[in-house]
Amino acid sequence: MPVTKDSPVSRTPFPEIDITVPHSARVWNYWLGGKDNYAVDRAAGDQYRELFPQIVDTARAARYFLARAVRFLVGEAGVRQFLDIGTGLPTVDNTHEIAQRVAPDSRIVYVDNDPLVLAHARALLTSTPEGTTDYIDADLRDPATILSSATRTLDFSQPIGLFLIGVFGHVPDDDEARSIMRRLLDALPSGSYLALADSINVGDAHREAARRYNEGGPVAYRLRSLEQIAGFFDGLDLVEPGLVAVSRWRPELSPFDGPHVETTLGGVGRKP
Amino acid sequence: MAIAADGEGVMGAIQAGGGQRDAAAFDYRRAGPTVSRMVVGAHLRRLREVAQVTREQAAEAIRSSDSKISRLELGRTGFKPRDVTDLLALYGVSDEDECATLLAMARQANTQGWWHAYSDVIPGWLEAYLGLEAAASLIRSYEAHFVPGLLQTRDYAHALIRAGLDDLSEAQVDRRVDLRMRRQQILHQPAPPRLWAVIDEAALRRPIGGAAAMRAQLRRLIETAELPNVTIQVLPFSVGGTPVGMPITVLRFPEGELPDVVYAEQLAGALYLDKPADTDLYEHVMNRLGTAAAPQKATAAILSRILEET
Repeated sequence: MPVTKDSPVSRTPFPEIDITVPHSARVWNYWLGGKDNYAVDRAAGDQYRELFPQIVDTARAARYFLARAVRFLVGEAGVRQFLDIGTGLPTVDNTHEIAQRVAPDSRIVYVDNDPLVLAHARALLTSTPEGTTDYIDADLRDPATILSSATRTLDFSQPIGLFLIGVFGHVPDDDEARSIMRRLLDALPSGSYLALADSINVGDAHREAARRYNEGGPVAYRLRSLEQIAGFFDGLDLVEPGLVAVSRWRPELSPFDGPHVETTLGGVGRKP
Repeated sequence: MAIAADGEGVMGAIQAGGGQRDAAAFDYRRAGPTVSRMVVGAHLRRLREVAQVTREQAAEAIRSSDSKISRLELGRTGFKPRDVTDLLALYGVSDEDECATLLAMARQANTQGWWHAYSDVIPGWLEAYLGLEAAASLIRSYEAHFVPGLLQTRDYAHALIRAGLDDLSEAQVDRRVDLRMRRQQILHQPAPPRLWAVIDEAALRRPIGGAAAMRAQLRRLIETAELPNVTIQVLPFSVGGTPVGMPITVLRFPEGELPDVVYAEQLAGALYLDKPADTDLYEHVMNRLGTAAAPQKATAAILSRILEET
């Protein structure tokens, strides 16, 4: 049967937002003090925090790392294009806001595969008139789609800042993770940067909290070792101070400074 | 029906937590009394709890009852400067800046919002909304039948208000239209709130005020959608079936400790909800509508097409 404009089968279905299992973007939103989360996310976030109370500081520290890394790239390194994979729900300082505060003409592509995140990003993460923001509905495991869609907005002959903040644990297979990273980095021109933060499998309480969280039914998150995360920077020149606890990466004096969190590492590497 | 209240929850479930930084960052000069009262009240409750003072002890210090302390802390009543001073002394707050800030906020909480000048045409249940809307940093709104008030043209608003249930004189209709136009100024003020509106296509197809007025209204929507702080999404007919038909507004405040407030207008009253257990469902509906409705670029095309067809 041909699908015509008026046929019932052509009706766009409502996207499902599953609020019966925790969702990582919403749990992070809860830890960061946001309100775009549901009871199931708050329960999962509370359970995690009971076992590993530093998770709230960790979540904040990872956001501040993102902010400092963006400021470093747009300020010292002169980068004007950003590819932010695993956008998450909008929070106080989002990638394009930080970049466009310094350089209003910055172009930012946000990538996520969650309809809720995408709807919030499209509605709330809007650009300055001088710059551009775009939104790609794609999975991290599909770099081909990410890269081809990003060409709508980004000039791949000029340096690009690639951001992967707390997302690579969603690709548990090491070979696949390395392959995705290689394909993404291969597409970037010389002078581009990778900014990556991820949690490592240290600390009994931390590991136990992560294990219990994964049992709760969300898309699982795998904690890697320091060496495995360092491996993601293969072929890049790490800028000072290297791969360190996110809170120790180029710290700035800030009234929001929390304690150092050693369970989440961050680094920025330059493609030679 | 006045504000539908379930006793302790509605407009009162202010979470403890946060700190003085939040209170200082909160722009109480713009907020009007409703939200200022909630913020000052929440702050006083936090200070009392930190000082481990009971409500009874606090009541004694201001020669009053513990239920008065409850009302003060829930932001349901104004503040006497002397009471605030006495409470701060009881709670051991001696920092001059902190005391001065809180007293200034308490004064602001006692002043009247700009909308007080329209009190002759404001039903009691709407007044709190005006205070909350003026203080919001994010206004999410869904309308199935009408263009949202913040986006209406004068002619559209006039036709809509005159067609309403109330038996109003022409002068009263004009006053209500004036009030609605005055509300819209928040979208153009410095550091304006963000408006995220989902409008059902049905609301755009009903020519309120006639075809010419509706075309002007559609052009206004197209223009306003260009503002950096306004996101308009049309829920097109091609999306078969919607989870709700009632208008919903969700207000979020710059002060992190204040909960989101859901405002749901009814025929002769309005529901204000602010406990997560109550607001989750409404936010879920808004999220589903936001994901199903056409994104901004597609919405611009839909608005232009409807304009051509009107």
